[in-house]
Amino acid sequence: MTLAAPAPGVDLDADAARPKPDTVGVREGGWFVRVVILAVVVFWLIPVVGVLVTSFRPEANVDSSGWWTVFAHPFRAGEWTLDNYSQALDAQGFENALLNSMAVAIPATTIPITIAAFAAYAFSWMHFPGRDALFVLVVGLLVVPLQMALIPILRLYVGGGQLWGVHVFPDLNLNGTFLGVWLAHAAFGLPLAVYLLRTFIGSLPSSIIESAKIDGADDFTIFWRLVIPLSVPALAAFAIFQFLWVWNDLLVAYVFLGGTQENRVITIALANLVGSRGENWHLLTSAAFLSMILPLIVFFSLQRYFVRGLTAGSVKG
Amino acid sequence: MRFRTVMVPLVVAVLALGACGGDDDDDDDAGGGGDSQENTGTVNLLSAVEPEEGEAVQAIFDELINSEADYTAEIEASADFEEQFQIRAEGGTLDLAAVPQPGAIQALVDDGSIVSLEDIGFDVSGLNDLMGESFVELGVIDGEHYGLPTNINLKSMIWYPKDDFDAAGYTVPETWDELIALSDQIVADGGTPWCVGFESGGASGWPATDWMEDIMLRTAGPDVYDEWWEHEIPFNDDAVAAAGERFGEVMFGEGYVLGGAEATPDIAFGDAPGPMFEDPPGCWLHRQATFINAFFPETAVAGVDYDWFPFPSIDEEGVLYGGEFTVVGTAANRPEVVDFLNAYISQEVQCQMGGVEASSRVSPNIDVGPDCYANDILADASGILTAALEDGTGRFDASDLMPAEVGSGSFWTGMLEYMGSGPDSLPGILDEIEGTWPG
Amino acid sequence: MTEVVETPSASEDEGLAERPADEPVPRAPWWKILVAFAILVAAYFTLQIAFDFLRDEDANRFLIAAVAIVIGVAGVFALFWAMNQIVDWLPSRLRENVRPYVFIGPALVLLSVFLVYPVINTIVLSFKDARSKDFVGFENYEFVFTDESMLRSIRNTALWIIVVPAVAVTVGLVFATLADRLRRGEAVAKSMIFMPMAISFVGAAVTFRLIYSYRPEGFGTNIGLLNGIWGGLGNEPVPWLSETPWNNFFLMVIMIWIQTGFAMVVLSAAIKAIPVELIEAARIDGASELQVFFKVIVPSIAPTIVVVTTYMVINALKVFDIVFVMGNAQSNETEVIAERMINWFFIANHDGRAAAIAVVLFLAVIPVMIWNVRQFREQEQTR
Repeated sequence: MTLAAPAPGVDLDADAARPKPDTVGVREGGWFVRVVILAVVVFWLIPVVGVLVTSFRPEANVDSSGWWTVFAHPFRAGEWTLDNYSQALDAQGFENALLNSMAVAIPATTIPITIAAFAAYAFSWMHFPGRDALFVLVVGLLVVPLQMALIPILRLYVGGGQLWGVHVFPDLNLNGTFLGVWLAHAAFGLPLAVYLLRTFIGSLPSSIIESAKIDGADDFTIFWRLVIPLSVPALAAFAIFQFLWVWNDLLVAYVFLGGTQENRVITIALANLVGSRGENWHLLTSAAFLSMILPLIVFFSLQRYFVRGLTAGSVKG
Repeated sequence: MRFRTVMVPLVVAVLALGACGGDDDDDDDAGGGGDSQENTGTVNLLSAVEPEEGEAVQAIFDELINSEADYTAEIEASADFEEQFQIRAEGGTLDLAAVPQPGAIQALVDDGSIVSLEDIGFDVSGLNDLMGESFVELGVIDGEHYGLPTNINLKSMIWYPKDDFDAAGYTVPETWDELIALSDQIVADGGTPWCVGFESGGASGWPATDWMEDIMLRTAGPDVYDEWWEHEIPFNDDAVAAAGERFGEVMFGEGYVLGGAEATPDIAFGDAPGPMFEDPPGCWLHRQATFINAFFPETAVAGVDYDWFPFPSIDEEGVLYGGEFTVVGTAANRPEVVDFLNAYISQEVQCQMGGVEASSRVSPNIDVGPDCYANDILADASGILTAALEDGTGRFDASDLMPAEVGSGSFWTGMLEYMGSGPDSLPGILDEIEGTWPG
Repeated sequence: MTEVVETPSASEDEGLAERPADEPVPRAPWWKILVAFAILVAAYFTLQIAFDFLRDEDANRFLIAAVAIVIGVAGVFALFWAMNQIVDWLPSRLRENVRPYVFIGPALVLLSVFLVYPVINTIVLSFKDARSKDFVGFENYEFVFTDESMLRSIRNTALWIIVVPAVAVTVGLVFATLADRLRRGEAVAKSMIFMPMAISFVGAAVTFRLIYSYRPEGFGTNIGLLNGIWGGLGNEPVPWLSETPWNNFFLMVIMIWIQTGFAMVVLSAAIKAIPVELIEAARIDGASELQVFFKVIVPSIAPTIVVVTTYMVINALKVFDIVFVMGNAQSNETEVIAERMINWFFIANHDGRAAAIAVVLFLAVIPVMIWNVRQFREQEQTR
């Protein structure tokens, strides 16, 4: 926080000196803002640059000199190679793994969002007994370590669930199916989804909701016509996180879908590329970048929803 | 109001139903033994093999097994073997798994997560002759075979830079005293004899336990060695202490270890042999199992730039090996699994697997001769292993036989502590390890 | 319960909602009810067909994904709509009592099966022995609070849940606030901070290997950045990850690096939602930028800060993989609670102890939850 201290002064002065008509109420940054931003970005980028540089270096070099040494003589022959990428891409079943990852990640993102949005609305704007307790329970479930949940769920998937000899959970044989993975991911993602969305939906001005109710709208209409459009940034934010989490997940897909060439998702393919003794760890550098491409596309395409204007809309509403 | 009062209990009931459901699962159809299930068309073998090797093995399965069978055998190479294996076995979805730690088998038998070979109708009568009784017996619990040895690898190997070694006029030692004399000679010549590295992420320390085992087997002999991992003698027994001291003789010897013993816990085991290939060699000796040559520089040629000799005998003879036991999950109680297992350990398939260049494994099948192996190192290792299996002097990696709390826990950390704290800390460390042995 | 797994909730809520159907219904347009039922019936059969299709392993992956998206969005929405229609049909005095449960029902059912049931299962296991056979009373808990390594893990976890959220939220908040003022390049700057979130865990492990890697004299040049810099300054290489107690902080850096992007994105969205007039009014009143930050921005997004901090605390409680791959936690003394749990569960195969450690994790989150309920109630009052 102390870092931020000089900023306002500079900012204020600059703005006071020459007020800009085009700034919509937010002061633009002076040099201080830019320096701080740049410093943090550089700090955050160093590890990534290390991986990026390494991913283009021959294996022998990776092991014998630091990645930063390439900057000393970046044009020397033999410093750069595409081998790591071609090796990672050539790994058996890479395209199939990519496809599987998409088939897992997209539904595992959309299903929990829809379910959580309804629940978040109820937790924010509807009154019913046990609301606080249920909400706390839902959020508290964030802390459940997945590893403890996998075996019981796997047993439900292959054998159903019995209580005093009565089947209370049908024997669906969901193991090894996409459906099984989606449901698991959807459920594991729900606590965070409900939690995040409730905060956003709950902070909408009550005047909007009240006036809609006075106009005779029922909860379903309010939710669908009013709350959802207003919550797009929050929905987009959660969509990004859930997508990233599912995309980068290794464990859930491994357990419920399996690690065979046919069924495995991209994270499993990449982890196996390296081998259990870690002999090929240099391949991970290229693999890490390959598997980052899609999540970054998702991030950039959803980022445009993080814009000002949410409140402008709500005031009109 | 009726509905409000109904709704809440209902939610609670759903929770309760879900909650109790699984507790009774153990009695479900997942239970072992008994009637066998239908042919599902696939036999899955979960394994910790390296990826290239996995692909080669799959090709052999396709060629020799799948082409004729009414099922498809697939090997699933997993970099997260322990976790996946545990989850699948307990979750009831495990087909077959090649387990490198037979110590884990007992627990799985206890909770009914795996079934025995007898249960699925596998004929075990010829196994002892085929693979050596001492090896097969490790997979036997309460008289039933729960693990089928499907490969073996030699641990008692000391690697050296052959060309430089010969040029310097050194000779391969055949006894412990000669090994120490060689080390002293190297120090006297201004070199450093040993390269040692024990870092391996969360499993750091395992290479140190291999050292201990190699020495223990040769100082106390195979019988006391067995008493050790079976906990018939305590971990702080004099025999173990004697082996630990001898281990310290190398590790703490003046100028013996490159970087000194206290650095070894932080040196990656894969990086450790590196200095051996410098010119002049940064070190001359490296003790590690068959697979380590995968970490050698790509330009190094076996038999020219490097070679190996067996860990020399001390007071007794012995050969230390590791290996894998294939266990059968509750989901695999099917006739085609038996068929696959028989095909898998047959001389034909095993010999073909020895021909895989990327492989670092040896067949436990005694009928698979040295000429099956594509590389000479494996061929030599196979000769030593076969002889050891036949005459009964071979012993399995003890840390993999001990309860996991010790074998994959306090033994590892204890050895790392020993390296850091020096020779005098040994008795205290052995007491500490003994204290962690489960009830 | 029906075989339709997507809608386990449907049968619950529908079952309840159906009963009053026998009673005379006031005011509900008959066709709407018919449509609602038709949709439920149609949904049932569609789901069954879809279900069979989705179980077909040979089916095209693209098609599967397409079907799944339709079910995931349209199907789930249709389900809610149909249930809502049926609720409309209830006598008016019941209607609004039942409706909230229609909204939260599916979430609760999914959570019950996938999370609540495993939690209860875990609690039961925590009182049993290594192989979950016999009850052993509080033996496992006694272990948790007496074992030397466990106690260290509790101490380390306490450090993690303070340091990681504090740094990640502070950096995320400052960055989001400042980036908001950039004339251009805001999106790019934010993406850079966000990027680590897109790296899978194996990727992150490699990333930091290139930073912390250590090789002593004689084992070749150091390929880790830290030792590169340290050595460049003329020092001996340092095994960073076994330098107790600092190694704990080196590990925390990894998590901060990954998670700050989350804090930054969520806080940035919240900052953008602050009414412009509010900030302008403060400025007109003569507030300095620093005062605007602390008196306007921070209070306005307080609920979001609570959410982000809570999430970070919980994630820090659950951290294990970072610790797990970065060396032998026990000899480096970097154990954390969740890492101990995984270790006892998957490595040492003692399910009872692992479960007891998990229960301690559940309990550790209670104070955070109490804090949340307070915030939750406050928000209700003030909005």
